[in-house]
Amino acid sequence: MNCEKCQELIHDLLDGTLSRADEFTLNTHLRECLDCESVRQDLSAILGFCQSHRGEYETPPNPQALWLRIRNVVEAEAANVKVKAKAPRKSFLADLLGRSWELSLPQLASFAVAIVLLVSIVTVVGIRRFGNNPVVEQPQPQASNINERVFQRQQVINYWKQRVELNKSRWSPEMRDTFDRNLQVIDAAVTQSLNELNRNPHDDISEQMLNESLNDKLALLKEFSDL
Amino acid sequence: MCKDSSRRFIFLKSPLVMKATSLFRLTSVRRVLPCAVATVIAVCFSSAGFAQQHLSKRFQTGKNVRIELKNISGTIVVESWNKDEIRLSATMESPNAHIVPKQMDESLIVDVMNDNRGRGDVGDVNFKLQVPVSSSVDLETRRGQISVSNLRGASVRAHVSTEGDIELTNITAAQVVAQNTIGNIFFDGEFSTGGTYEFKSTKGDITIRIPGNSAFRLVAASPARKIALGEFWNNGFKTQDGRRYVGDVGDGRSSVSVTNFSGQITFLRK
Repeated sequence: MNCEKCQELIHDLLDGTLSRADEFTLNTHLRECLDCESVRQDLSAILGFCQSHRGEYETPPNPQALWLRIRNVVEAEAANVKVKAKAPRKSFLADLLGRSWELSLPQLASFAVAIVLLVSIVTVVGIRRFGNNPVVEQPQPQASNINERVFQRQQVINYWKQRVELNKSRWSPEMRDTFDRNLQVIDAAVTQSLNELNRNPHDDISEQMLNESLNDKLALLKEFSDL
Repeated sequence: MCKDSSRRFIFLKSPLVMKATSLFRLTSVRRVLPCAVATVIAVCFSSAGFAQQHLSKRFQTGKNVRIELKNISGTIVVESWNKDEIRLSATMESPNAHIVPKQMDESLIVDVMNDNRGRGDVGDVNFKLQVPVSSSVDLETRRGQISVSNLRGASVRAHVSTEGDIELTNITAAQVVAQNTIGNIFFDGEFSTGGTYEFKSTKGDITIRIPGNSAFRLVAASPARKIALGEFWNNGFKTQDGRRYVGDVGDGRSSVSVTNFSGQITFLRK
């Protein structure tokens, strides 16, 4: 039995109109709930006072007017209750934050354990979901980003190209021809990928090809800078 | 006898011979001799210049040996044989070329680049290696063909920096990498469970010949849209306007990546 139901039944209890079963249930609740017991005692005292002083009251001068004032007050309170009911409810978060939290030690411990469990589960699920099959990020490039990245790579490539040029005179003519021919092939691949990306900045195949071509070019230059 | 001799002498001293002898005497010896010597020296040097040096060495090894060969220019041929030893043969175009193979534990390292630092252009060095069947090979050259056949080792890597065909025949290895810039790549072998296979060329055809029951996950990319999966095609493949195919063949137990910028990618069934 909850307190609201209990306080509804307290009147019947004091009037003696309650069934035995309800009376037993109500008394059980009153023994456990100090608030309801307090309400019962107040009501009982009021009733006792009224019964003991019956006939001792003077009739009010204008009972009709009194009744109207009481009625107005009751109706005004009822209207306030409706307005409060229509007022926007606090958000869950505001309600949660506004609430005063008074937790016992076991409740606090349980809460902490629940958080630890939740974090562990999320971690395990995350590792199983993404750990074995790493998600291959498919970058969504934008033209400006691509050009910027290509420019940065080009700086590194230029450095290695200068180193290659220093040693090139030592190579055989056949080796020089081979190197130049292959560099042209890679450059063509870079240009083609770049043109494709300028047309469609979200084309991940062209971006993959551009990256690989630039890597190949860098690797070629590094290898031949040693020669 | 004397008479015959005198007759012969008389014959030798015939007018024609006399004339020639006198002509020779007339010509200055000092002028002819240096020319003759120079000619002889030039012939000797030129023949030495074109003569190829040959190196052949044998190395006792175990069954699971690793061979690392870094060449500058020239072909590399690797074959297996039924012996626990490596036979290395090298033909060097230039007499300046220097090769010092190093054997360490279960590996043999040949680094032409390192061995000839500061010696200038050493020309082509063509290698032929006979190795145990279970060998792993890591082969590199700046220019030249690479051919590997009949190996069942842990890994095969063939890298040509510029141009040169790569031919891998009858290979069973858990890890295979073949890459060049210009040239064809041919792989004939099997994909091992859990193995990784990477084939990449900028300008050349890539052909992969494998058994019909091969199981692998494939990522094949060719901006030129020249990808022919043949009998390995299935409806599970996802394609991006024919330039890239991603999908599983069988249960996809091995991982295969094929990238070709402007050539053809072809899968053939054995």
